[in-house]
Amino acid sequence: MELPFVVVTILFCLGIYTIITQKNLIKIVLGFTIVESSLILIFVLVSYQPGGTAPILDKAYHLVVDPIPQALALTSIVIGGSVTAVMLALVIKIQKRYRTLNVDKLRKLKG
Amino acid sequence: MQAAIWLIILPLLTAFFIGISKVFYSYKLLFPLVTGSAILYLYLLISVIDHSYPPKVYSVGDWGLLGINIMVDPFSGLLLLMIALLFLPVIVFSLKYITFHTHNYFILTYIMTAGIAGMVLTADLFNLYVFLEVSSLSSCALVALKKTNKAIEGTFKYLVMSTLGSFFILLATILTYDLTGTLNMAEISVAFQDIPFQIKSILMAFFIFGYAIKIGLIPLHAWLPDSYEESPIPYNVLSSGLVMKSAVYALIRVLYILFGFDFLDETGMLQIGVVWGVVTFLIAHLLAFQQSNVIRLLAYSSIAQIAYITIGLFVGTERGLIGGNFHILNHAIMKGTLFFVIAIFHYSLTAVDIKDLKGLGFRFPLLSFTFVVASLAIVGLPPFNGFISKWLIVEAALDAGFIYAAFSILVGTFLSLTYYLKVIVTLYTKTDKTIEMKEPGLALKLPTIFLGSLCIVFGIAPSLPLSLIDKIPTFLLDHEEYISILLGG
Amino acid sequence: MVKKLYKLGLVVSLGMFLFVLFSDIHNLDRTSKNYLSEHYISEGVQETGAINLVTSVLYDYRAFDTLGEATVLLTAATILAFLVPVTKADMLGTTFTIIVYQATKYLIPFIAVLGVYVIMFGHLSPGGGFVGGVVMALIPILLSLTYGIDFSEYKLTPNTKKVVEDIGAIGFILLGLLAVLTGNNFLANGQAGFPLGNAGELISAGLIPYLNVMIGIKVGAGLAIIFNSLMKEQ
Repeated sequence: MELPFVVVTILFCLGIYTIITQKNLIKIVLGFTIVESSLILIFVLVSYQPGGTAPILDKAYHLVVDPIPQALALTSIVIGGSVTAVMLALVIKIQKRYRTLNVDKLRKLKG
Repeated sequence: MQAAIWLIILPLLTAFFIGISKVFYSYKLLFPLVTGSAILYLYLLISVIDHSYPPKVYSVGDWGLLGINIMVDPFSGLLLLMIALLFLPVIVFSLKYITFHTHNYFILTYIMTAGIAGMVLTADLFNLYVFLEVSSLSSCALVALKKTNKAIEGTFKYLVMSTLGSFFILLATILTYDLTGTLNMAEISVAFQDIPFQIKSILMAFFIFGYAIKIGLIPLHAWLPDSYEESPIPYNVLSSGLVMKSAVYALIRVLYILFGFDFLDETGMLQIGVVWGVVTFLIAHLLAFQQSNVIRLLAYSSIAQIAYITIGLFVGTERGLIGGNFHILNHAIMKGTLFFVIAIFHYSLTAVDIKDLKGLGFRFPLLSFTFVVASLAIVGLPPFNGFISKWLIVEAALDAGFIYAAFSILVGTFLSLTYYLKVIVTLYTKTDKTIEMKEPGLALKLPTIFLGSLCIVFGIAPSLPLSLIDKIPTFLLDHEEYISILLGG
Repeated sequence: MVKKLYKLGLVVSLGMFLFVLFSDIHNLDRTSKNYLSEHYISEGVQETGAINLVTSVLYDYRAFDTLGEATVLLTAATILAFLVPVTKADMLGTTFTIIVYQATKYLIPFIAVLGVYVIMFGHLSPGGGFVGGVVMALIPILLSLTYGIDFSEYKLTPNTKKVVEDIGAIGFILLGLLAVLTGNNFLANGQAGFPLGNAGELISAGLIPYLNVMIGIKVGAGLAIIFNSLMKEQ
């Protein structure tokens, strides 16, 4: 049970590190998707129970995993997907306007 | 309490119907749909605010504690009051002001309002996150509405920062569920009593970091002026008045209800909050002083005012909470007025730089007077409303022993006076340049003057809103009462 | 260099925090605190009539979240629709061999059947409105990819998709309001007296299948709008 948490921690930090250090806009968006997936992994971990079956009760069962985090994970996947789509649209827009994907080159706004 | 749920559904329904009417009827149905629903919404808001004391719980789907509950208490009543005061004026103003992507503007505005109403009403932690995301994504969309380079860039910045904040909030929410096995705020609060101190404080740090980004406290503020600069100005009224305030609301809800006042006291979060507030407004005032663009100036001023609110809410006494909450209301009104006046100047002669405002005081005597009133109120001079709430905050800080905070607020008042005076003096400087301009109609002037007059009314008779605000601290300082009401259904 | 080290330090300290938090949570001995999920597992099928518990959480216990999430998707679709210009993309006319065109033609009915199945059986088997909606959205996406945007938007104009999306969202709210008409709370299902039927049958679980259909319509149209908008930007 320790290893998954290590993986999640590494993924989360990797994503955050990508967001705050990378200069390429696409890479920044990738960082967001990495963090997003690490959060979804946490949802899965929270609901996981050793030996449990999926929460679809069409046959006999003795242990079922927690259905709530799975439902919440679905919600956050959709939200994350929407946000990523909007971000990508903005990146395309910025690329068309400035002909660059480098964050440092967009300095219309200062202060 | 059926009306409470309508506060969330009605704007959503309106937004969806505007989407359909855009395809089939183009502009014909827009006006009746938008105004009709805004007036109906005002009526619903008033009826809900009227019943906000004693607090009531409404269970969505009749599930009781198994499902999602929404709750109206005086604190959410205050935020609803702000929506009631700002929403109809903004809609009336926008109908005249917005000339591009009109349908999308109204769709997104209504969705944003629904998101804010949801955040304010919900008593469920994950639901809070969902509505937070609804309001912040639609708010990002409104920033991008003009599609200029600056607007696109500002939107990207805003979206990146606010999503970063949401991640931390979501992380804390998941772990809270893992620890307590429930998402109902009252049940979490009860279950949190057995959780070790260390876990709770790390969770609290995540919540605070996430919401601090959305609020725009100082090291995390960079997105705010950029996103304000090129967005449609009526949106700025809602943004500084409601979007930021709803984040403050959510933070306070989470801290005071989930963790409880005693825990905040124990961790020293109250001291950190006050210091953070002091640093924020001092820096924000200094940055505002350098701006040449009025909208950016107002944006920095917003950051500073939010910091005053933070101080008031984190002082941790009853009087501090009253002062902070009163300032939430006052800031929405004052900043709304200022943005409206600038929007009219922008509409008439596309003036957004301070130097463009030269001599406008003689062309628009009434509007400029409103501007002066609102800016003096925001600086905190008597007899306007800003003075009273600021005075309450200073008094509370002195009572609780935060002498440095009280002293810095006085310094901050002086600093803000300097830059607002700069604008006012420019307004009343005579110039012989003749400028072409569009005459602003009554639809633009009326909302502005309405909000401006509220500055004076609440200054002279502060007891009007204070009768609602006085009841807030009972449910925040002692979360037992809130919990028992929410658990009791 | 210093800046990079500083950022690295920030992230590493965040990682330490997280790790400490996780191990603390892991070491906490927890005794039967999850009464909520236990209730859902033991009573969920009787109370909502849906065998798939995730669906019962998503469309019954916490249906309000689903409304919010559908709104987020609609917002994203709206933003993308107005961010793109009116002009069409260059990559309109990538020509493929006839195999691709014919294969697409034959695939589309199967995709449609799969999508409808996943949506309709959402309360009985894995799937539901969101997944089914994504499957349905594949049809316009496939059309845009193979035949080009022009053809895809001639078959399904953006306005149609927008209206379908709005109708899905309105339908969700109206279904929720049905319960209000019978004097219950918003989005009530079993309590408002909608027949739950026998668990395991297609027509069971009260409102859940209909809510699933609405969400399916909405998600399908929304994703199609999002995809086409991202592609159209030239």
